This record gives sequence, C-alpha cells and structure tokens, in this order.
Amino acid sequence: MQLDAPERPRAVRAKLRTATCLLLTAVAPRFAHAADPPAPPVPASPPTSQIDLTGLFYSERIRVLEPTMRYTRTYSSGRSFFGQVSVDSVTGASPNGTLPTGRTQTVTSASGRSRSVSANSIPTVNFSDTRIALDGEWQQPVKMFAFSLGGHFSHEKDYQSEGVTGRVAIDLNHKLTTLSLGGGYNNDVVSPVGGTSVGMAPYGELTGAASNPKHVKTALVGVSQVLSRKWLVGVSASLSSEDGYLTDPYKALSIIDATTGIPLAQVSEQRPDTRQRRSVQGDSVYHFTSNILYLSYRRYWDDWGIGSHTIDARYRLPVTSAAFVEPHVRFYTQTAADFYRFGLVQGAPLPQYATSDYRMAGLQSVTLGATIGFAPGGRRRTSEWTVRAEYVGQFGDSSPPGTVGVQTRIDLFPAVNVFSMVVNYRFNR
Amino acid sequence: MSLKRVEDYFIGRFTAMAGPCEILVDTDSPPRGERALELARQEARRIERKFSRYLPDSEVGRINGSQGQPVRVDEETAHLLDYAATCYEVSEGLFDITSGVLRRAWKFDGSDRVPAEATVAGLLPYVGWGRVAWGDRTLALPAGMEIDLGGIGKEYAVDRAASLIAAEIPDAFVVNFGGDLYASGPRRGGRPWNIGVDDPERTGDATIAAIPLTRGGLATSGDARRYILYRGKRLGHILNPKTGWPVEGAPRSVTVIAPTCVEAGTLSTLAYLRGPGAREFLEAEGAQFRIA
Repeated sequence: MQLDAPERPRAVRAKLRTATCLLLTAVAPRFAHAADPPAPPVPASPPTSQIDLTGLFYSERIRVLEPTMRYTRTYSSGRSFFGQVSVDSVTGASPNGTLPTGRTQTVTSASGRSRSVSANSIPTVNFSDTRIALDGEWQQPVKMFAFSLGGHFSHEKDYQSEGVTGRVAIDLNHKLTTLSLGGGYNNDVVSPVGGTSVGMAPYGELTGAASNPKHVKTALVGVSQVLSRKWLVGVSASLSSEDGYLTDPYKALSIIDATTGIPLAQVSEQRPDTRQRRSVQGDSVYHFTSNILYLSYRRYWDDWGIGSHTIDARYRLPVTSAAFVEPHVRFYTQTAADFYRFGLVQGAPLPQYATSDYRMAGLQSVTLGATIGFAPGGRRRTSEWTVRAEYVGQFGDSSPPGTVGVQTRIDLFPAVNVFSMVVNYRFNR
Repeated sequence: MSLKRVEDYFIGRFTAMAGPCEILVDTDSPPRGERALELARQEARRIERKFSRYLPDSEVGRINGSQGQPVRVDEETAHLLDYAATCYEVSEGLFDITSGVLRRAWKFDGSDRVPAEATVAGLLPYVGWGRVAWGDRTLALPAGMEIDLGGIGKEYAVDRAASLIAAEIPDAFVVNFGGDLYASGPRRGGRPWNIGVDDPERTGDATIAAIPLTRGGLATSGDARRYILYRGKRLGHILNPKTGWPVEGAPRSVTVIAPTCVEAGTLSTLAYLRGPGAREFLEAEGAQFRIA
C-alpha cells in the first residue's frame, strides 16, 4: 500500500494537474483543489425553453374561448423568465341584477339600448368583448434567496389593468423550510360602456365620469416545510386592500311592490369604495409510492361580510410512465355580503349600499373534474398534452327571506352550471 | 433510480454510461439524498448524451461523422479535447482518444477470438491523435478516423456531478460512476468513506482491499470486466494505440487516488498502458496508488 506516500507531483502529474484544473475550472471555478470544499459551479448546461399553448372553452350563460401562449425560459443558474399572452373572446349574457316579474319586462342598459325579456327568466345584459392580457415574470436566485419580479397588463374596452408583483423566497434549514414574502400593486381603470351609473339612482342616470380608478394592494406571507421525503406542507396568509370604483357598472336592483312583488323600477347598484380582504390557506402534498395527493383548505373573509371556506383535493395517478389521470373535487361555500338584497321594497328608504349580484349572495358550489396528461415522447418528455374537463355547479337560496307576491313563485337563484375544458400542449426546446 | 437508507447514510443508484452509478450521502435528510441523486443522474445523463459516440447528433457523433471536414466545437468539448491532447503528449502517444477504431477488430467478450494481425494493421493508419488538426476550437479529423471520449468522460462526469452536489448539499457524499469516484470530505464524526477494491478474479463478488478515502478522486484501470483469453493469457481491453494490440504484462488492476477523479482516472490509465512498468511509473510520479 502506497496510500500514505507523500504527494510529490512529478513531470506527468504536474502537467496533468494543470490540465485537470483547466478542464474542471472551465465549468466549475475553484473546484479541483482537493483541500478546498468544492465551490458552486458555473453552469455548463444550455438554457431550456418551454412553450405552452392553451385553449380554454367555457360555457355558462356566457361562452369564452381563451387561447393562451406561455413561454418559459430557464437558465441552468436557476434564473428564469416567463411571458404569457392571452386573448379572451367573450360573448353571452350576464344577469343584470333585476328581478323577473311574471309580466314582460323591459330592461334598459346604461348605453340606452333597451329590449324585452320573457316573464319568468332572470333579466340579463348581452355583451361581447375581447380582452388581451400580457404577463411577465423574471426570477433570480441569489444564494438562499429567490427574487422574482412580475408585471401585468390587460386591456378590454371597459377595463384596463396594470400591475406589478414582487416576491422573495428564503430557503432555511438546508432547504427544508422555505419562507416567502410578497407584495403587489394594481392600478386599474373602469370605463363603463355608455357612462358610469349613479349608484342607488334610477338605472340609466349617469355621473358624467367616463372612467373610474381602482387600486389594489396585496401582501402575502407563507412558509412551506418538508416534513419527510414524501410529505410537504405549507401555510400562507394574504391581505389585500382595494379602493376606488368597486361597483359593477352594469348591475341594477329591482324596486318591487311591497305586496304584489311586481318590479316597478330599477336602481343602479352601489358598493362601498373600499374593501379589505384576508385569507389563510393550508396545503399538503403527499407522495405515495407513485400517486400524489394534493389537499388544500382556504378560509377567506372580507369587510363586506363575505366569508368563505374552500376545500380542494386532487389525486394524481400515473397510468403508464407517459400518462396520468388526476381527478379533482372542490367544495366552496360563502356567506352573503352585508348589503346583498335580492330586491328593494318600494316605500322603504334606500340603503347606502346594495347589490343583487348573485356572486355577492350566500352560495355553495361544487367542482368535479379530471385532468388527463400524456407525454408522447415517453420518458424523454419533450412534449406533453393535458386535457382538463370540469363541471362547476353553483347553488344559492332560490327563495330568500323577504320575498313577496310573484317573487315567491319564481326561482331567484337558478343553479348555475358551467362546463369547461382546457387543452394544453407543452413542449421543450 | 432508487434511494435507500443504509445505517446512517443514504445510497442512491441508477444506471448511466453503460454501468451502475451510485451516490452516497452522509445525511439523515431524505430530500437531500434525493436531490443529490437527482443532480448526479441529470449530470451523468447530460454528459452521456452530449459525448456519446453512439448518438450521431452528440458532439462526438458530429465529429466522427464529419468526413474530414473541420468541425467547430463548443467550449466544454474544447476543454475536453485540450485535456485529451495533454494526455496524448504526456503519455508519448499511449493515451489516444482516436484509438477507438481498433475496437472494430477486437471483441472483449471473454472468448478466445483474436483478430488477424492484418486486420489490426489495416486499422492503424486511422489511429493517431498526431494526424488530427486541433486548434481554435476547431477539429479536423481525417476521414475514417474517430474519437472516443469514453476514457475521460466518466471521470469528468464524476467531478462535474460532485461540484454540482457540493454547491447544494452541505453533507459529505461520494459520487461513484462505474467504479470511478469522488469523495467530498469526511463523514460526520470525521470518519472516512471506505472504498472497496474489486477483486479482478471474482469481479462484482469480492473485494481485495478497503481504501479509506476522505476527500478526492479514486479510479481503477484493469481488465476485470472486459478481456480476451489468448494462448492462456488474459488480454485486457485497454489497447496500445501504437501496436493495435492489448497492453501486455499490465497489472490486473491499478487504483489511483488524486485530488480529482479525472486526474486519478488518467493516472491509472497511463500506468496501465505502461504494462509491467506501471508500478515504476506511479512511484516515480509520487502518486498514491494500489496495484493488484
């Protein structure tokens, strides 16, 4: 055994030592000195790009076709960039908030158009719009920190949104714990078609303002923890503060006769001009031998009186090495906003704030769906198809307390059934 | 790919570069073991794909398919070729990455089939790094010649994987690709890793020595796994590029320890190529080694 022989580099070894250093330091600086701990490498692998093409088909009262292209470039240093363009083309009808009557009823819109609706159906406003959205994010790891900075812009004819987000993730405890802090700011402008309605005034009366500002500030904090080789958990909390024009410019409330229940007039809705939202969420990802179970619970509440609980579960099952199936189920329940009214009774003083938007009502929803994924390239996975199909059913109180006359015979919260399908094709370059 | 706990460390296994690969991580944290395994596997696969002589679109495939036309190579390939040129120079032509064409004549399958001398002689004009024009990141390989980075690539992959893991994982670890390995430092409590040296007579079943290794590269050259039986002699798979015949009189196995796996691997190959002069060479070079 010569293992303890002193190291005396000779002719060949000296040359090899130099050549080895050149070879290894070319891609891994300062490595190759056995006495030093190896240093972080300079990447040798080329950057990779990933392109996602997504089409969303959506059917409710409205139909949405939303093609999205997403581009992600990841450098081997961990730095990454992602950009996304999406175009939504939306057509259809949305409830305008007023009540069915039992008689033919006329609905006017702020732009002055009017039309008739049949007696027992929920009056709606028709719309057709195209929205273009651009999103980008730059991510940069620096030692134990990962910084990211994102930007957002979207435009449609009555809504424009610009926003920035920033986030830092900190790896602690040898990367078993990750702490993240983030914040965002959005500057939006609402420009209702036909002008801005005066809240709680007869529908059609305008303020004269062509556009109305809206600001959103968001802060979030989260921590994730690796509990074992198979189990990852996380908790996060977010706080957001909105101010400005938070009213839906196209929604109105019916004023009904106190005994017959027949709608007599309409007033534009009015919501407060500030809103504080809070949420906390817990997540768990458990990796069985080959299947993965995702569970999450979210508690949300705001100062409008809306509080909600969401439970979400997904279970990913590999079918072959190249395909998987992932069933998905979600339960959601929310309480109504303090100022939610199905309608207003004639003669009573008008409240300061009121809305009859069904999304502000107490409601429950159930989502059932499944995703199927397939990577035709097999184990090298240069491309992947996924198809997600989902049903969302939304249910509320069909006959809320306080209904009178004809309103008691009409379903005031018809179940909303939405079917959607998302097709995604991803490939790496 | 698998990861399991053995006593107080983790051992992960996968197959790459035509052989078994292992990673040992001195930790109690399964995610860190997993991460080290994943990094090692990715880097092994990346280097295998990039420098495989079996893939026509690899760097080596592109050079071998160049039909005498000059080929411009990327930086990483250039550094490997520079290193190969140094090996050729210091070994006075014994370590030659163009000697792979000789494999057309030789099949080291444990049988007694020896090629006709004329066959071997016919291939010799296609062997010789001296016939290759290399410089300015451009390689001109005469038509009919081939290069094979197999003699460097595995050791290079070990050092590369080790540097990637060391950048992320604080624990001591060993990267072992088919017997060429690197240890990152002492285990918890200051203990060294114990490296067994394979018994060339009973390869895979027994070891003839245990070498304690704390930090550095370790590589073995020998005829243990691939040889030919000729007139009762075992001819190892390492060929002398000057004669086209297996190196004669070489030890059964030469194990060398050096600061990096690349250096250990090169020294063990150079020693082996010197046949009976292996021990003398390593002693003269002041290397840490073990010969069987």
